[in-house]
Amino acid sequence: MPESEQRKAASKNHTRYKILIADDSAMNRALLSAMLEDEYDITEVENGAQAVSVLQERASEFALVLLDIVMPEMDGFEVLMYMNKYHWIDDLPVIMISSETAPQFIRRAYEFNANDYISRPFDAAVVQKRVKNTLMLYAKQRRLAGLVADQIFEKKRTSNIMVAILSHIVEFRNGESGLHVLHISAITELLLKRLRFKTDRYPLTDEEIDLISTASALHDIGKISIPSEVLNKPGRLTPEEFAIMKTHSAVGGEMLDQLPIYRDEPLLKYAYQICRWHHERYDGRGYPDGLVGDDIPISAQIVALADVYDALTSDRCYKKAFSHEQSIAMITRGECGTFNPLLLELLQDAADEVREAVSHSSFSAPVRAEVSVVTEKLLEEERLTNPERVARLLSTERTKFQFLSSVTEHIVFMYTSSPSMLALNPRGAARLGIPETTLDPSAKLQPANAQCQSTLDRMLQETRSATPEEPNREFDVDMYVDGQSKPFHCQLRAIYLDGEEPEYVGVVGVLIDKDEA
Amino acid sequence: MNIQQCYALFGGAYDEVLSRMGGSERLVSRFALKYLSDSTYAQLSEAMSAHNDSEAFRAAHTLKGICLNLGFSSLAASSSALTEALRPGHAQASPQELAALMDTVTRDHEQIIAALGQIA
Repeated sequence: MPESEQRKAASKNHTRYKILIADDSAMNRALLSAMLEDEYDITEVENGAQAVSVLQERASEFALVLLDIVMPEMDGFEVLMYMNKYHWIDDLPVIMISSETAPQFIRRAYEFNANDYISRPFDAAVVQKRVKNTLMLYAKQRRLAGLVADQIFEKKRTSNIMVAILSHIVEFRNGESGLHVLHISAITELLLKRLRFKTDRYPLTDEEIDLISTASALHDIGKISIPSEVLNKPGRLTPEEFAIMKTHSAVGGEMLDQLPIYRDEPLLKYAYQICRWHHERYDGRGYPDGLVGDDIPISAQIVALADVYDALTSDRCYKKAFSHEQSIAMITRGECGTFNPLLLELLQDAADEVREAVSHSSFSAPVRAEVSVVTEKLLEEERLTNPERVARLLSTERTKFQFLSSVTEHIVFMYTSSPSMLALNPRGAARLGIPETTLDPSAKLQPANAQCQSTLDRMLQETRSATPEEPNREFDVDMYVDGQSKPFHCQLRAIYLDGEEPEYVGVVGVLIDKDEA
Repeated sequence: MNIQQCYALFGGAYDEVLSRMGGSERLVSRFALKYLSDSTYAQLSEAMSAHNDSEAFRAAHTLKGICLNLGFSSLAASSSALTEALRPGHAQASPQELAALMDTVTRDHEQIIAALGQIA
């Protein structure tokens, strides 16, 4: 993953972590700085709004935030809310520092995902140690998450391979290809998933479906005890031979039942059901126990159906393959045993998908499916860390903006949509009489400069019709500057984040005084 | 007079502060003297005169935090009492009660300023 690589490289090159301290008291900031500045680079801000605006620009630069609770403009809890909302807190731990010692404050901080809570008066050694622990924990957690994911993947893959080999041994002796177990596993999974949509009679979790389709590969292990002459006899079996053949399901169940270990594993439970009862019939005329209806576990009912379908559509020592359509028709007409009517309906509904599943299953398929699951997970994570990417992009844009806006007499602005923030060049801010940065401007400009408010509204409205292909807009507007209302011309450009679907992130623009133009 | 003797003048918790600052007398002295130029008390006083309760709460709260860290025990206690009396959502203190609490804060503040002034 390129991002973790970047992080590794970064931590090698810069051993000094950056810490953001947000506290309204200069004295408290100075105290914390004095305790930490030997080991870390410190950035100080005076209130919550400044903290959010710094994080919005460059959250990814910081390794830790020390956050006071009671602050003007925006308090520490609100900062935590922003950090949660924009997922900054996923990668950026927060230690609250406050003289509030009431349990409800501490609990609330933890509920908002703060990592630690230090009460005043704080001890230099304690602060240093807790900061270090939190930073190490985060670094370790990141590494561990990666390791665990790798190991789970590796383990699952190994166990899939083991099951495949085991079943292949059985089928090899049987003169079959080994594809049979893969087909059954694929059909079982497909039918169980469809079954869940059709009825809630058999409540199954994703995990159980996964276990049942893995266990389905073991359905014929009992055949290991059947003499090869009987097992591979090309012609019809005599009644005695058939009686021997029929023992394979009970024998398979017994083999599993006598397994000295893993007795309580769900996989084993399902494997037992499947081995012992995959030749039962819904009307009670199957073997070995003559179970009727839903006394036959659903796992065994489904595998039985999958087994019959795949047997029909394959060449066997005693018969040629039937076509998909023929096979479905034969099963439906009850020529190959009696099944749960619900399952027959299911098979007909899903007939096309069953054919697809069988034709696409191969030895690498389960592993490939695993890969796609893991990849999806990774992509999901990628999407989650998107705010970080946005922050990085905006930080570059900001540098350009700051330079270009410093060399012009016009009012230059930049608006970011999430979190909503308006930035102006110093000259523009002075002329309009509003701060250089305003967080959540749509709620805050009104009292300071009402015309700014309506221009902002107009700008946002114009931007809504902009597209990545046509990002530019212009319009005339009156602005209240230098104590009077004057006509201006506004030119703006919507900014989009590159990607498969360009994502709107904000606007840059300039307001030109018509008298000066 | 050294910083330790100065703390004794206003009943400050010198030993505790020294220990929290990693045993550095220089750091204790540096931060204690910083209090002379700290504006929190002035902000509190201004907010109290203007009857701006939310601003006063915030300033009293900040003052309490500073004093806890610096071991200014008397001022930490009096500013803490004022903080609780001003805390939003709690039972309203009467103007007389608030004024009395503020008087104690002022007295403690001035005692500390006077003591620190002797070594600054």
